[in-house]
Amino acid sequence: MSQATLNRPLSHAEMDAFGAELDALRTRTMAQVGAEDARYIRRIVAAVRYTEAAGRALLFFGAFPPAWVLGTLLLGLSKILENMELGHNVMHGQYDWMRDPHLNGKTYEWDIVGTSDNWRHTHNYKHHTYTNVRGMDDDIGYGLLRLFPEQRWRPFYLFQPLIAVIFALLFQWGVAIQRLELGKVFSGRKTKAELREEFRPVGRKMGRQLLKDYVLFPLLAGPFFLPVLLGNLVANGMRNLWTYAVIFCGHFTADAETFPKSVVQNESRGHWYLRQLRGSSNLSGGKLLHIMTGNLSHQIEHHLYPDMPARRYAQVAPEVRAICQRYGQNYNTGSIWSQFGQVIWRILRHALPSRPGKPAPLVEPMAEAA
Amino acid sequence: MSPAPNRLLRAAVAAPVFDFWSRQFGSIQAWDRCLARVVARREEARGAVTLTLQPNRRFAGFTPGQHLNLTAEVEGVRLTRSYSFTRPPCADGRLRLTIKRVENGRLSNALCELRPGAVVELGQAYGEMSLPQGPGRYLFLAAGSGITPLMALSLALEQNPQAEATLVYWAQRRDELCFAEELRELAARQPRLRLHFALTREPLRLAGEFGRRLDAALLDEVAPDLSALQVFACGPRGFVEDARRLTQERALRFHGEAFTPPEAVAGGAPVRVQLLRSGQTLEVPSGAPLLAALEAQGLHPDSGCRMGLCNTCACRLVEGVGQNLNSGETLAEPGSELRICISAARSDLTLDL
Repeated sequence: MSQATLNRPLSHAEMDAFGAELDALRTRTMAQVGAEDARYIRRIVAAVRYTEAAGRALLFFGAFPPAWVLGTLLLGLSKILENMELGHNVMHGQYDWMRDPHLNGKTYEWDIVGTSDNWRHTHNYKHHTYTNVRGMDDDIGYGLLRLFPEQRWRPFYLFQPLIAVIFALLFQWGVAIQRLELGKVFSGRKTKAELREEFRPVGRKMGRQLLKDYVLFPLLAGPFFLPVLLGNLVANGMRNLWTYAVIFCGHFTADAETFPKSVVQNESRGHWYLRQLRGSSNLSGGKLLHIMTGNLSHQIEHHLYPDMPARRYAQVAPEVRAICQRYGQNYNTGSIWSQFGQVIWRILRHALPSRPGKPAPLVEPMAEAA
Repeated sequence: MSPAPNRLLRAAVAAPVFDFWSRQFGSIQAWDRCLARVVARREEARGAVTLTLQPNRRFAGFTPGQHLNLTAEVEGVRLTRSYSFTRPPCADGRLRLTIKRVENGRLSNALCELRPGAVVELGQAYGEMSLPQGPGRYLFLAAGSGITPLMALSLALEQNPQAEATLVYWAQRRDELCFAEELRELAARQPRLRLHFALTREPLRLAGEFGRRLDAALLDEVAPDLSALQVFACGPRGFVEDARRLTQERALRFHGEAFTPPEAVAGGAPVRVQLLRSGQTLEVPSGAPLLAALEAQGLHPDSGCRMGLCNTCACRLVEGVGQNLNSGETLAEPGSELRICISAARSDLTLDL
């Protein structure tokens, strides 16, 4: 089905009303945020810490295979929870109202090789403000993949099925270097000296993470150095694959749209909401899926309300869906298998030359002219 | 912990992880925060509770007459208020704070319910009021919870043999007097402290108790030699203003400390914004978006989306009243994050920027 038939373009008045309804839903929900949400995030912190401790402890007995498997799984689980439900959400400022210095959006430092500061810039600011705007949101293919026909094809993309797999396995490293914009160095728009300066904090963080997972904890295990090192490697890999899958499902499913730069000029609040909706897609599933994805299974709600405690997304989702229906907008959701299948199809299909279909306007053509 | 393992630990462990496990094991040690455990609680008077706190090693000490910011979690949210120490430093390092219940006082009322074992967070001590070593004659005027720093100063007389003081302590009723017994005992053994209670709503007065508010006649009675005295007055704003009016011109020195909740001013009126990190103080119109107002004066604070969603421009409100212009909600809790692109100053502000 083409996007034009899924979504009705809105008039300016409809767009404002659409925005006002979403604003009202936000105000209603934020008024309920309090002790329950605080208890929840504290429980998540405890789950992260205890699964990490248990995982690392079991890995010390990693010469015994069942201990290695269980230890690696627990450590991977801990890293996934920490990156997604804790780190990603805390860094959005979702829990700033608690005023807990350890849960502060501007200072939280997460357990991956990328620095939180760079993430706050590339993700919180660029990706969330300019979601799926071509040339402004670097998350569209991460400068490495061609996922939309609107991206210009180059022969390099023929290798992208392979590149996509390598990128998935090393996803945390991709996140770590995203802000360095290496493409600019190759094209001469950034000097080596500038790159060196920008790399300094990134290098420090990489060093600390490598030291922790591949030197310190393996050394603590003494003779079981190698099983611990391998366990940590696999746990990091598990987290890489999972976060990659979840993030790609959020914006690169078949019906997710991208936009030209012109959309952000004098953008109204309603228009911004509409663009967030059209560029995002959800994963349907149970509570476990929601927690394990850091509630990015509610990518749509997350993009409408990035600073709302993510555990509230499931609560607002039915209302968001009803609003979408009233305004003739597709609410893009599906099982992880179906959504990720669509992502894989995009990776394969757009490795080859492809042409954009008919654009699906956000605003009624008449209204645009007026 | 000896310094070397301590250093190694600091290199290997992140602060939040250390603090988490420390609390899990029931310790109040923390990476760089000053935590304190409530070790004793006493009903001090009607509507007032005295807490004895054992701080961790991050507490740097205080002098009598100072206060500190105390932070505790109430229904998931951390609240911070200032409280005075009510006794001089002790050899065991324990601190004593006395807290009065107040209407709508979310933190004070919660603190009054704390039981031994509870953990709170402390800031460092601050405040200008002190009793320097050496000769000095003082008049302490305390009303209501204004007794708290003056209690510490009264006790400090014992370690300061050349100082003497007269304390006049007002409350509405006798059962609201904090430290009544302790003060009487102190005055009995320490001739350098003269003590007067004043009760404004008590039908029956005992010998030596005044029954009225502060006025010139009362002042003549308790301090005929006012010109030789340093006056310290603590209490509600009106009380401290009265004390200032009656004594500032005549006394050797006047120092007043009043509790004033921050108040919002009308839109458009100029307010002062103090930026702690850059060390600047600027004047901006109240009610105007702060980011734009600061940029108009040539500053370039971090910012991103300029619509209140990316959190890049968030900075900590240290003091004052801010307002979120999108929701209209006012923010006056110290330690709140203010997204300055969509927030305005509603009073003089101090920001961690």
